[in-house]
Amino acid sequence: MPGNGDPHGPENGTGPVIELRSLTKRYGGTVGIERLDVSVAAGEVFGLLGPNGAGKTTTLRCLVGLLSPSDGQVRVLGLDPVADHRRLAPSIGYLPGELRLYPELTGQQTLDLLAALQGAPVPRQRELCDRLTLSRADLARPVGEYSRGMKQKLGLVQSLQHQPPVVVLDEPSEGLDPLVQETFYELLAEETAAGRTVLLSSHVLPEVQRTCGRVAIVRHGRLVTVRSVAELRQARARRVRLLFADGRGARPLGAAERWSPRWDGSRVELLVPPDEVVPAVRTLLAELPVADLTVEEAGLDEAFLDLYRANDDQLPTDGQPPTDGRPSTDGRPPTEEPRPDTEEGP
Amino acid sequence: MTPSTVSRRLPLVWLALHRRRRMLLSLLLGVVVFETLIVVIAGTVPPGDLFGAGRRNPPGAFRAFSGSNGDVSIASYPGLLGAGLTHPFWIALQLTVIGSLGAAAVASDVESGTIELLMTRPVSRRRLLAERTGALIAASVALNAAATLTVALGVAFSPKLRDAVPEGAVFTAGLLGCALAFCLTGPVLAVSALSRRRAHVVGAAVVFGAVGFALNFVALAWSPARPLRYLSPFHYYAPGDVLGHGGVPWAALGVLTGVGALGLLAAFRLLERRDLAI
Repeated sequence: MPGNGDPHGPENGTGPVIELRSLTKRYGGTVGIERLDVSVAAGEVFGLLGPNGAGKTTTLRCLVGLLSPSDGQVRVLGLDPVADHRRLAPSIGYLPGELRLYPELTGQQTLDLLAALQGAPVPRQRELCDRLTLSRADLARPVGEYSRGMKQKLGLVQSLQHQPPVVVLDEPSEGLDPLVQETFYELLAEETAAGRTVLLSSHVLPEVQRTCGRVAIVRHGRLVTVRSVAELRQARARRVRLLFADGRGARPLGAAERWSPRWDGSRVELLVPPDEVVPAVRTLLAELPVADLTVEEAGLDEAFLDLYRANDDQLPTDGQPPTDGRPSTDGRPPTEEPRPDTEEGP
Repeated sequence: MTPSTVSRRLPLVWLALHRRRRMLLSLLLGVVVFETLIVVIAGTVPPGDLFGAGRRNPPGAFRAFSGSNGDVSIASYPGLLGAGLTHPFWIALQLTVIGSLGAAAVASDVESGTIELLMTRPVSRRRLLAERTGALIAASVALNAAATLTVALGVAFSPKLRDAVPEGAVFTAGLLGCALAFCLTGPVLAVSALSRRRAHVVGAAVVFGAVGFALNFVALAWSPARPLRYLSPFHYYAPGDVLGHGGVPWAALGVLTGVGALGLLAAFRLLERRDLAI
């Protein structure tokens, strides 16, 4: 239970903390999410990645019991978020994406109200307020006078103050200034170190790259892939930069033209698949007057954009089949083979 | 931390009433002033003089304004006091409370998105609606109590009114007012439990009140429409008759509370099934 050091909450088993099986949510004729399969193990920081409208918020709302699935199954700590709401809710800390607060209440009243509804002690309230720089004077002011960032800080405090074993955060760093963002990342690291499970949605790729072990990428309500961040980055194209010694500028690159060259004077940048980097570099060095050369691992943003640019009927272009979102048993980034019942990416 | 002002036992009741405390105080003040005015007029101007120098009887449909289904004319002391408890101004005050707190029960929080903070706590949907219903009933009872006490004080201090109104009838009329409020509250809460817009709930409260009042008036004024009066809550809310003849209208109280209870039951069932986010 929250606050007592039990990271697994109501169902203290060894299974996944969060499990979505063929989760589908329709709004009339509109599909919010379709056949989403994701599993999150205890102690993971798991990212749900996608642009606005991809279905991230709908997924999180199903997880916390605000929405009933149209089809499929949701289990958090082995419980159904809608049917077992009262048993499960003490173990969840939730930060909504569009945080709405009662403008007439002060910050302190808001925290006290939510703590009263939580019905549990809030041992971290003061500490969290201090670390997120919410002073007593700030907390004495009506929330209606708060800036966006201050509201977000209050939202973070209310989601963590009762030390829940499962934390669900929808766009958590929206509106936070860089200093507070750093504190937030520290808090996330502490949550993980304490064995708590964090599921966060974001469209801020550097944030996901920094905080998450694994990510699920969703597009138009469907799962594109679930991978570890390291895998995604490793599998994506390398950025090869060349500087030519002759100063002639753009020129034909022969076979290398297929790697989308971007010219800037005598410099060119290529995005080369990882298994072709070595032969490509050999060929370029042999055929062209190269004065300087760098090879960089691509960031998560390139990986994400590659997956997003892929047609709906294509597999991800990294040559690996998409996974079904299940973590390895120790909660580390997965290395598993695809399963026969896998919900594959489009 | 500073000492909390938030009720830990009934936080949702506290929230609903705290956010609307200024509005509720204004409405309480308004009803006290209005009923005082009615009592002062009734006590100082003979009711017959208010309705024409020729002492003509007012039209029968005017009984709708005196809160009577029988023989209590608005041109009488009980009729005039009944008019104070059936006047559109008083009804509007009741509807303001019912519409505002009815919308706050569920629909307002869904529309604003604050429901996401409340209902991700270990709070059942039944508890949400039960606490919000409690807040609405408390506010309605307070409003009716203010009106009843004002009229009761006026009757106590005016010999003419005291002679015309049976003992205890004012409090029975107040009880009937609470039953009317509950009758309107149930269906309004059902709309709130189903809707995601505050305006739908406020609109429903106005429609239930205004259409009900109009239906009763038309049924009294136009004999072919007379059977329709049974469909109006105002047919059962007859404070003029209570103030004129005394007694407790058990059947009317039963109908009004029964309709309210059915609406409330529907509200609980509807809320169990709905999604709580847009």
